[in-house]
Amino acid sequence: MNVRNQIICSWAAWAFALMSLIGLLLAGFIPPISPAASDAEVVAVYQQNTLSIRLGVLLVMTSGAFICAFAAAIASQMRRIEGETGPLTMTQLGGGCVSSLVLVFCGVFFTAAAFRPEQAPEMVRLMNDLGWIMLLMTFPPFIIQNISLGLCILSDSSDEPVYPRWVGYYNFWVAVLFIPGGLLTFFKTGPFAWDGLFVWWVPLLVFLSWYVLMPFLTIGAIRKQEPSGVPVTA
Amino acid sequence: MSTGSELPDAVERHLPGETGVWMFIIGDMVIFSLLFSVFVFDRSQEVVLFVEQQRLLNQNFGVTNTLLLLTSSWFVALALHAMRGQDSRTAGRYVASAFACGAGFVVIKYFEWGEKIRAGLTIETNNFFMYYYLMTGIHLLHVFIGLGVLLFLWQMMRRAATSEKDLSLFESCACFWHLVDILWIALFALLYLMR
Repeated sequence: MNVRNQIICSWAAWAFALMSLIGLLLAGFIPPISPAASDAEVVAVYQQNTLSIRLGVLLVMTSGAFICAFAAAIASQMRRIEGETGPLTMTQLGGGCVSSLVLVFCGVFFTAAAFRPEQAPEMVRLMNDLGWIMLLMTFPPFIIQNISLGLCILSDSSDEPVYPRWVGYYNFWVAVLFIPGGLLTFFKTGPFAWDGLFVWWVPLLVFLSWYVLMPFLTIGAIRKQEPSGVPVTA
Repeated sequence: MSTGSELPDAVERHLPGETGVWMFIIGDMVIFSLLFSVFVFDRSQEVVLFVEQQRLLNQNFGVTNTLLLLTSSWFVALALHAMRGQDSRTAGRYVASAFACGAGFVVIKYFEWGEKIRAGLTIETNNFFMYYYLMTGIHLLHVFIGLGVLLFLWQMMRRAATSEKDLSLFESCACFWHLVDILWIALFALLYLMR
Protein backbone atom coordinates (compact mmCIF):
# COMPACT_ATOMS: atom_id res chain seq x y z
CA MET A 1 0.00 0.00 0.00
CA ASN A 2 1.20 3.45 -0.90
CA VAL A 3 0.48 5.09 2.43
CA ARG A 4 2.78 8.02 1.90
CA ASN A 5 1.38 8.95 -1.51
CA GLN A 6 -2.14 8.77 -0.16
CA ILE A 7 -1.27 11.05 2.74
CA ILE A 8 0.42 13.56 0.42
CA CYS A 9 -2.70 13.55 -1.76
CA SER A 10 -4.80 14.19 1.35
CA TRP A 11 -2.68 17.21 2.24
CA ALA A 12 -3.50 18.53 -1.20
CA ALA A 13 -6.96 19.33 0.12
CA TRP A 14 -5.54 21.74 2.68
CA ALA A 15 -3.30 23.26 0.02
CA PHE A 16 -6.39 23.77 -2.11
CA ALA A 17 -8.45 25.36 0.69
CA LEU A 18 -5.65 27.72 1.70
CA MET A 19 -4.61 28.70 -1.82
CA SER A 20 -8.11 29.28 -3.15
CA LEU A 21 -9.05 31.32 -0.08
CA ILE A 22 -5.94 33.50 -0.41
CA GLY A 23 -6.65 33.89 -4.13
CA LEU A 24 -10.24 34.98 -3.54
CA LEU A 25 -9.18 37.46 -0.85
CA LEU A 26 -6.36 38.84 -3.00
CA ALA A 27 -8.71 39.32 -5.97
CA GLY A 28 -11.11 41.12 -3.64
CA PHE A 29 -13.84 38.60 -4.43
CA ILE A 30 -14.96 38.20 -0.80
CA PRO A 31 -17.68 39.50 -0.83
CA PRO A 32 -18.33 38.97 -4.58
CA ILE A 33 -18.88 41.74 -7.11
CA SER A 34 -22.64 42.26 -6.97
CA PRO A 35 -24.68 40.82 -9.85
CA ALA A 36 -26.75 44.01 -9.56
CA ALA A 37 -23.72 46.26 -10.27
CA SER A 38 -23.87 48.40 -13.40
CA ASP A 39 -21.46 48.08 -16.35
CA ALA A 40 -19.53 51.10 -15.10
CA GLU A 41 -19.23 49.72 -11.58
CA VAL A 42 -17.95 46.37 -12.78
CA VAL A 43 -15.44 47.99 -15.12
CA ALA A 44 -14.25 50.26 -12.31
CA VAL A 45 -13.53 47.23 -10.12
CA TYR A 46 -11.45 45.61 -12.86
CA GLN A 47 -9.63 48.83 -13.79
CA GLN A 48 -8.74 49.73 -10.22
CA ASN A 49 -7.68 46.23 -9.10
CA THR A 50 -6.33 44.81 -12.35
CA LEU A 51 -3.12 43.37 -10.94
CA SER A 52 -4.57 41.92 -7.73
CA ILE A 53 -7.44 40.33 -9.67
CA ARG A 54 -5.02 38.78 -12.17
CA LEU A 55 -2.87 37.37 -9.36
CA GLY A 56 -5.74 36.24 -7.17
CA VAL A 57 -7.53 34.52 -10.04
CA LEU A 58 -4.30 32.81 -11.09
CA LEU A 59 -4.04 31.40 -7.56
CA VAL A 60 -7.67 30.24 -7.51
CA MET A 61 -7.20 28.54 -10.87
CA THR A 62 -3.97 26.85 -9.82
CA SER A 63 -5.51 25.62 -6.57
CA GLY A 64 -7.97 23.57 -8.63
CA ALA A 65 -5.20 21.09 -9.46
CA PHE A 66 -5.11 19.92 -5.85
CA ILE A 67 -8.76 18.89 -6.01
CA CYS A 68 -7.85 16.01 -8.35
CA ALA A 69 -5.19 14.72 -5.99
CA PHE A 70 -7.52 14.76 -3.01
CA ALA A 71 -10.31 13.08 -4.94
CA ALA A 72 -7.79 10.35 -5.77
CA ALA A 73 -6.84 9.96 -2.09
CA ILE A 74 -10.52 9.53 -1.21
CA ALA A 75 -10.93 7.10 -4.10
CA SER A 76 -8.07 4.97 -2.75
CA GLN A 77 -9.98 4.63 0.52
CA MET A 78 -13.34 4.10 -1.17
CA ARG A 79 -11.83 1.19 -3.06
CA ARG A 80 -11.30 -0.54 0.26
CA ILE A 81 -15.08 -0.43 0.75
CA GLU A 82 -16.19 -1.14 -2.79
CA GLY A 83 -13.43 -3.21 -4.32
CA GLU A 84 -11.19 -2.43 -7.28
CA THR A 85 -13.86 -1.61 -9.84
CA GLY A 86 -16.42 0.13 -7.64
CA PRO A 87 -18.65 2.51 -9.61
CA LEU A 88 -19.14 4.93 -6.70
CA THR A 89 -15.36 5.24 -6.40
CA MET A 90 -15.09 6.16 -10.05
CA THR A 91 -18.04 8.54 -9.88
CA GLN A 92 -16.45 10.33 -6.95
CA LEU A 93 -13.12 10.63 -8.75
CA GLY A 94 -14.83 11.86 -11.90
CA GLY A 95 -16.82 14.45 -9.94
CA GLY A 96 -13.65 15.65 -8.23
CA CYS A 97 -11.77 16.04 -11.51
CA VAL A 98 -14.60 17.93 -13.17
CA SER A 99 -14.81 20.20 -10.10
CA SER A 100 -11.19 21.04 -10.74
CA LEU A 101 -12.12 22.12 -14.27
CA VAL A 102 -14.78 24.43 -12.87
CA LEU A 103 -12.03 26.41 -11.17
CA VAL A 104 -9.93 26.43 -14.33
CA PHE A 105 -12.78 27.79 -16.44
CA CYS A 106 -13.87 30.42 -13.96
CA GLY A 107 -10.21 31.44 -13.84
CA VAL A 108 -10.20 31.82 -17.62
CA PHE A 109 -13.30 34.04 -17.62
CA PHE A 110 -12.15 36.29 -14.77
CA THR A 111 -8.77 36.60 -16.44
CA ALA A 112 -10.40 37.56 -19.74
CA ALA A 113 -12.22 40.35 -17.88
CA ALA A 114 -9.01 41.56 -16.22
CA PHE A 115 -6.93 41.06 -19.38
CA ARG A 116 -8.21 44.17 -21.19
CA PRO A 117 -10.19 46.13 -18.59
CA GLU A 118 -10.14 49.14 -20.93
CA GLN A 119 -12.23 47.35 -23.57
CA ALA A 120 -15.98 47.84 -24.09
CA PRO A 121 -17.67 47.80 -20.64
CA GLU A 122 -20.30 45.27 -21.69
CA MET A 123 -17.51 42.84 -22.62
CA VAL A 124 -15.88 43.14 -19.21
CA ARG A 125 -19.27 42.74 -17.60
CA LEU A 126 -20.06 39.64 -19.66
CA MET A 127 -16.77 37.98 -18.75
CA ASN A 128 -17.33 38.89 -15.11
CA ASP A 129 -20.81 37.32 -15.28
CA LEU A 130 -19.41 34.18 -16.88
CA GLY A 131 -16.77 33.89 -14.17
CA TRP A 132 -19.25 34.07 -11.29
CA ILE A 133 -21.80 31.84 -12.96
CA MET A 134 -19.10 29.27 -13.72
CA LEU A 135 -17.85 29.37 -10.14
CA LEU A 136 -21.16 29.27 -8.27
CA MET A 137 -23.87 27.76 -10.44
CA THR A 138 -21.92 24.62 -11.28
CA PHE A 139 -23.06 22.46 -8.37
CA PRO A 140 -23.50 19.09 -10.19
CA PRO A 141 -19.86 17.88 -10.25
CA PHE A 142 -19.47 18.91 -6.60
CA ILE A 143 -22.59 17.19 -5.32
CA ILE A 144 -22.01 14.02 -7.34
CA GLN A 145 -18.69 13.74 -5.53
CA ASN A 146 -20.37 14.15 -2.11
CA ILE A 147 -23.30 11.87 -2.86
CA SER A 148 -21.21 9.02 -4.27
CA LEU A 149 -18.86 9.24 -1.29
CA GLY A 150 -21.80 9.38 1.14
CA LEU A 151 -23.48 6.35 -0.42
CA CYS A 152 -20.24 4.41 -0.40
CA ILE A 153 -19.59 5.18 3.28
CA LEU A 154 -23.10 4.06 4.24
CA SER A 155 -22.69 0.83 2.28
CA ASP A 156 -19.62 -0.05 4.37
CA SER A 157 -20.77 -2.96 6.52
CA SER A 158 -17.40 -4.10 7.83
CA ASP A 159 -16.69 -4.24 11.56
CA GLU A 160 -14.09 -1.54 11.24
CA PRO A 161 -15.53 0.90 8.70
CA VAL A 162 -13.12 2.99 6.63
CA TYR A 163 -14.94 6.24 7.44
CA PRO A 164 -17.29 6.72 10.43
CA ARG A 165 -20.92 6.45 9.31
CA TRP A 166 -21.79 10.03 10.23
CA VAL A 167 -19.37 11.20 7.53
CA GLY A 168 -21.79 9.71 4.99
CA TYR A 169 -24.63 11.83 6.28
CA TYR A 170 -22.37 14.85 6.55
CA ASN A 171 -21.62 14.48 2.83
CA PHE A 172 -25.33 14.40 2.00
CA TRP A 173 -25.80 17.57 4.00
CA VAL A 174 -22.95 19.28 2.15
CA ALA A 175 -24.48 18.19 -1.17
CA VAL A 176 -27.84 19.70 -0.25
CA LEU A 177 -26.20 23.01 0.56
CA PHE A 178 -24.59 23.34 -2.87
CA ILE A 179 -27.86 22.91 -4.76
CA PRO A 180 -29.12 26.52 -4.21
CA GLY A 181 -26.25 27.63 -6.48
CA GLY A 182 -28.49 26.65 -9.37
CA LEU A 183 -30.95 29.35 -8.32
CA LEU A 184 -28.61 32.24 -9.07
CA THR A 185 -29.99 32.24 -12.61
CA PHE A 186 -33.17 33.96 -11.34
CA PHE A 187 -31.80 36.72 -9.13
CA LYS A 188 -29.68 39.85 -9.12
CA THR A 189 -30.29 40.62 -5.43
CA GLY A 190 -31.35 38.81 -2.29
CA PRO A 191 -30.27 35.58 -0.56
CA PHE A 192 -30.25 33.53 -3.79
CA ALA A 193 -28.28 35.97 -5.93
CA TRP A 194 -24.64 34.97 -6.47
CA ASP A 195 -23.53 37.27 -3.65
CA GLY A 196 -26.37 36.08 -1.39
CA LEU A 197 -26.41 34.02 1.78
CA PHE A 198 -27.42 30.70 0.19
CA VAL A 199 -25.37 30.88 -2.99
CA TRP A 200 -22.19 32.45 -1.70
CA TRP A 201 -21.73 32.57 2.08
CA VAL A 202 -23.20 29.22 3.17
CA PRO A 203 -21.65 27.19 0.30
CA LEU A 204 -18.27 28.93 0.74
CA LEU A 205 -18.14 28.08 4.45
CA VAL A 206 -19.43 24.55 3.93
CA PHE A 207 -17.09 23.96 1.01
CA LEU A 208 -14.04 25.09 2.96
CA SER A 209 -15.17 23.10 6.01
CA TRP A 210 -15.37 20.00 3.82
CA TYR A 211 -11.84 20.55 2.51
CA VAL A 212 -10.54 21.10 6.04
CA LEU A 213 -12.38 18.20 7.67
CA MET A 214 -12.25 15.44 5.03
CA PRO A 215 -8.43 15.22 4.91
CA PHE A 216 -8.34 14.51 8.68
CA LEU A 217 -10.86 11.73 8.22
CA THR A 218 -9.10 10.39 5.15
CA ILE A 219 -5.69 10.42 6.79
CA GLY A 220 -7.32 8.67 9.78
CA ALA A 221 -8.64 6.01 7.41
CA ILE A 222 -5.25 5.61 5.72
CA ARG A 223 -3.50 5.18 9.07
CA LYS A 224 -6.02 2.57 10.18
CA GLN A 225 -5.29 0.72 6.97
CA GLU A 226 -1.56 0.60 7.68
CA PRO A 227 -0.90 1.43 11.32
CA SER A 228 2.83 0.94 10.99
CA GLY A 229 3.16 2.73 7.70
CA VAL A 230 5.21 -0.22 6.50
CA PRO A 231 4.02 -1.74 3.23
CA VAL A 232 2.32 -5.05 3.76
CA THR A 233 1.85 -7.41 0.89
CA ALA A 234 -1.07 -9.73 1.24
CA MET B 1 -34.70 2.27 46.45
CA SER B 2 -32.83 4.29 43.93
CA THR B 3 -30.01 6.71 44.45
CA GLY B 4 -29.23 9.58 42.15
CA SER B 5 -26.49 7.74 40.37
CA GLU B 6 -28.85 4.96 39.36
CA LEU B 7 -31.32 7.29 37.72
CA PRO B 8 -29.89 7.31 34.17
CA ASP B 9 -30.20 3.53 34.08
CA ALA B 10 -33.75 3.59 35.38
CA VAL B 11 -35.03 5.01 32.11
CA GLU B 12 -33.54 3.25 29.13
CA ARG B 13 -32.68 5.87 26.58
CA HIS B 14 -33.27 5.12 22.95
CA LEU B 15 -32.39 7.36 20.03
CA PRO B 16 -34.49 6.25 17.07
CA GLY B 17 -32.37 5.53 14.00
CA GLU B 18 -28.69 6.30 13.65
CA THR B 19 -26.82 9.22 15.15
CA GLY B 20 -25.71 10.25 11.66
CA VAL B 21 -29.29 10.71 10.51
CA TRP B 22 -29.89 13.06 13.39
CA MET B 23 -26.82 15.06 12.39
CA PHE B 24 -28.30 15.41 8.93
CA ILE B 25 -31.72 16.33 10.30
CA ILE B 26 -30.32 18.94 12.68
CA GLY B 27 -28.03 20.29 9.98
CA ASP B 28 -30.93 20.58 7.57
CA MET B 29 -33.05 22.28 10.20
CA VAL B 30 -30.27 24.78 10.89
CA ILE B 31 -30.25 25.74 7.21
CA PHE B 32 -34.04 25.98 7.10
CA SER B 33 -33.97 28.15 10.24
CA LEU B 34 -31.51 30.40 8.45
CA LEU B 35 -33.84 30.55 5.44
CA PHE B 36 -36.84 31.29 7.69
CA SER B 37 -34.88 34.03 9.49
CA VAL B 38 -33.95 35.68 6.20
CA PHE B 39 -37.60 35.47 5.14
CA VAL B 40 -38.84 37.05 8.38
CA PHE B 41 -36.21 39.79 8.10
CA ASP B 42 -37.05 40.61 4.47
CA ARG B 43 -40.72 40.47 5.34
CA SER B 44 -40.20 43.04 8.09
CA GLN B 45 -38.72 45.38 5.44
CA GLU B 46 -41.82 45.07 3.23
CA VAL B 47 -44.63 44.07 5.60
CA VAL B 48 -47.38 45.72 3.58
CA LEU B 49 -46.40 43.96 0.36
CA PHE B 50 -45.98 40.58 2.07
CA VAL B 51 -49.35 40.75 3.84
CA GLU B 52 -51.08 41.92 0.67
CA GLN B 53 -49.49 39.21 -1.48
CA GLN B 54 -50.17 36.53 1.11
CA ARG B 55 -53.91 37.02 0.50
CA LEU B 56 -53.35 35.71 -3.04
CA LEU B 57 -52.37 32.31 -1.69
CA ASN B 58 -55.02 29.62 -1.70
CA GLN B 59 -55.41 28.62 1.95
CA ASN B 60 -57.42 25.51 0.99
CA PHE B 61 -54.44 24.03 -0.83
CA GLY B 62 -52.19 24.88 2.11
CA VAL B 63 -54.49 23.35 4.71
CA THR B 64 -55.15 20.21 2.65
CA ASN B 65 -51.43 19.68 2.20
CA THR B 66 -50.80 20.14 5.91
CA LEU B 67 -53.45 17.51 6.68
CA LEU B 68 -52.00 15.15 4.08
CA LEU B 69 -48.49 15.36 5.53
CA LEU B 70 -49.70 15.02 9.11
CA THR B 71 -51.71 11.96 8.13
CA SER B 72 -48.76 10.44 6.29
CA SER B 73 -46.55 10.99 9.34
CA TRP B 74 -49.18 9.20 11.41
CA PHE B 75 -49.15 6.28 8.95
CA VAL B 76 -45.35 6.11 9.19
CA ALA B 77 -45.61 6.00 13.00
CA LEU B 78 -48.21 3.21 12.75
CA ALA B 79 -45.99 1.34 10.29
CA LEU B 80 -43.07 1.55 12.69
CA HIS B 81 -45.27 0.24 15.47
CA ALA B 82 -46.39 -2.68 13.29
CA MET B 83 -42.82 -3.41 12.32
CA ARG B 84 -41.72 -3.50 15.94
CA GLY B 85 -44.39 -6.16 16.37
CA GLN B 86 -42.80 -8.13 13.49
CA ASP B 87 -45.92 -7.56 11.38
CA SER B 88 -44.26 -6.52 8.13
CA ARG B 89 -47.42 -7.03 6.07
CA THR B 90 -49.38 -4.41 8.04
CA ALA B 91 -46.30 -2.17 8.18
CA GLY B 92 -46.03 -2.34 4.39
CA ARG B 93 -49.65 -1.32 4.04
CA TYR B 94 -49.16 1.68 6.31
CA VAL B 95 -46.04 2.72 4.40
CA ALA B 96 -48.01 2.53 1.15
CA SER B 97 -50.72 4.74 2.70
CA ALA B 98 -48.08 7.23 3.81
CA PHE B 99 -46.69 7.22 0.28
CA ALA B 100 -50.15 7.87 -1.16
CA CYS B 101 -50.57 10.91 1.12
CA GLY B 102 -47.12 12.18 0.13
CA ALA B 103 -47.92 11.72 -3.55
CA GLY B 104 -51.20 13.58 -2.95
CA PHE B 105 -49.15 16.46 -1.54
CA VAL B 106 -47.16 16.61 -4.80
CA VAL B 107 -50.32 16.56 -6.92
CA ILE B 108 -51.85 19.40 -4.92
CA LYS B 109 -48.63 21.38 -5.15
CA TYR B 110 -48.80 20.94 -8.93
CA PHE B 111 -52.30 22.44 -9.05
CA GLU B 112 -51.40 25.16 -6.57
CA TRP B 113 -48.36 26.28 -8.53
CA GLY B 114 -50.30 25.95 -11.79
CA GLU B 115 -53.01 28.26 -10.47
CA LYS B 116 -50.40 30.84 -9.43
CA ILE B 117 -48.49 30.69 -12.70
CA ARG B 118 -51.70 31.07 -14.75
CA ALA B 119 -52.49 34.14 -12.64
CA GLY B 120 -49.10 35.55 -13.71
CA LEU B 121 -47.52 35.12 -10.28
CA THR B 122 -44.01 33.70 -10.76
CA ILE B 123 -40.71 33.56 -8.93
CA GLU B 124 -39.82 36.95 -10.43
CA THR B 125 -43.07 38.75 -9.53
CA ASN B 126 -41.95 40.12 -6.17
CA ASN B 127 -40.08 39.17 -3.00
CA PHE B 128 -43.04 37.43 -1.44
CA PHE B 129 -43.50 35.13 -4.40
CA MET B 130 -39.76 34.61 -4.67
CA TYR B 131 -39.80 33.19 -1.14
CA TYR B 132 -43.05 31.34 -1.81
CA TYR B 133 -41.58 29.41 -4.75
CA LEU B 134 -38.16 28.93 -3.19
CA MET B 135 -39.35 27.72 0.19
CA THR B 136 -42.07 25.45 -1.18
CA GLY B 137 -39.68 24.32 -3.96
CA ILE B 138 -36.83 23.37 -1.63
CA HIS B 139 -39.39 21.63 0.57
CA LEU B 140 -40.81 19.81 -2.45
CA LEU B 141 -37.31 18.51 -3.19
CA HIS B 142 -37.35 17.05 0.33
CA VAL B 143 -40.76 15.50 -0.37
CA PHE B 144 -39.40 13.80 -3.49
CA ILE B 145 -36.42 12.42 -1.58
CA GLY B 146 -38.82 11.37 1.20
CA LEU B 147 -41.06 9.54 -1.28
CA GLY B 148 -37.99 7.66 -2.49
CA VAL B 149 -37.23 6.77 1.13
CA LEU B 150 -40.82 5.52 1.64
CA LEU B 151 -40.57 3.42 -1.50
CA PHE B 152 -37.38 1.91 -0.11
CA LEU B 153 -39.20 1.12 3.17
CA TRP B 154 -42.07 -0.42 1.26
CA GLN B 155 -39.86 -2.87 -0.57
CA MET B 156 -38.07 -3.59 2.72
CA MET B 157 -41.43 -4.59 4.20
CA ARG B 158 -42.25 -6.70 1.17
CA ARG B 159 -39.25 -8.89 1.82
CA ALA B 160 -40.23 -8.92 5.51
CA ALA B 161 -36.95 -7.45 6.74
CA THR B 162 -37.51 -7.02 10.48
CA SER B 163 -34.14 -7.67 12.09
CA GLU B 164 -32.69 -5.34 14.73
CA LYS B 165 -30.56 -3.66 12.03
CA ASP B 166 -33.56 -3.25 9.72
CA LEU B 167 -35.50 -1.68 12.56
CA SER B 168 -32.79 0.94 13.06
CA LEU B 169 -32.79 1.64 9.31
CA PHE B 170 -36.58 1.90 9.35
CA GLU B 171 -36.42 4.39 12.22
CA SER B 172 -33.82 6.51 10.38
CA CYS B 173 -36.05 6.66 7.31
CA ALA B 174 -39.13 7.43 9.41
CA CYS B 175 -37.26 10.30 11.07
CA PHE B 176 -36.51 11.79 7.67
CA TRP B 177 -40.17 11.67 6.70
CA HIS B 178 -41.11 13.39 9.97
CA LEU B 179 -38.54 16.06 9.14
CA VAL B 180 -40.31 16.67 5.82
CA ASP B 181 -43.55 17.04 7.77
CA ILE B 182 -42.22 19.35 10.46
CA LEU B 183 -40.49 21.62 7.94
CA TRP B 184 -43.77 21.97 6.07
CA ILE B 185 -45.60 22.96 9.24
CA ALA B 186 -43.10 25.73 9.96
CA LEU B 187 -43.23 26.80 6.32
CA PHE B 188 -47.02 26.74 6.21
CA ALA B 189 -47.24 28.94 9.28
CA LEU B 190 -44.73 31.44 7.90
CA LEU B 191 -46.02 31.68 4.34
CA TYR B 192 -49.77 31.14 4.66
CA LEU B 193 -50.68 32.18 8.17
CA MET B 194 -48.30 34.78 9.61
CA ARG B 195 -50.00 38.17 9.74
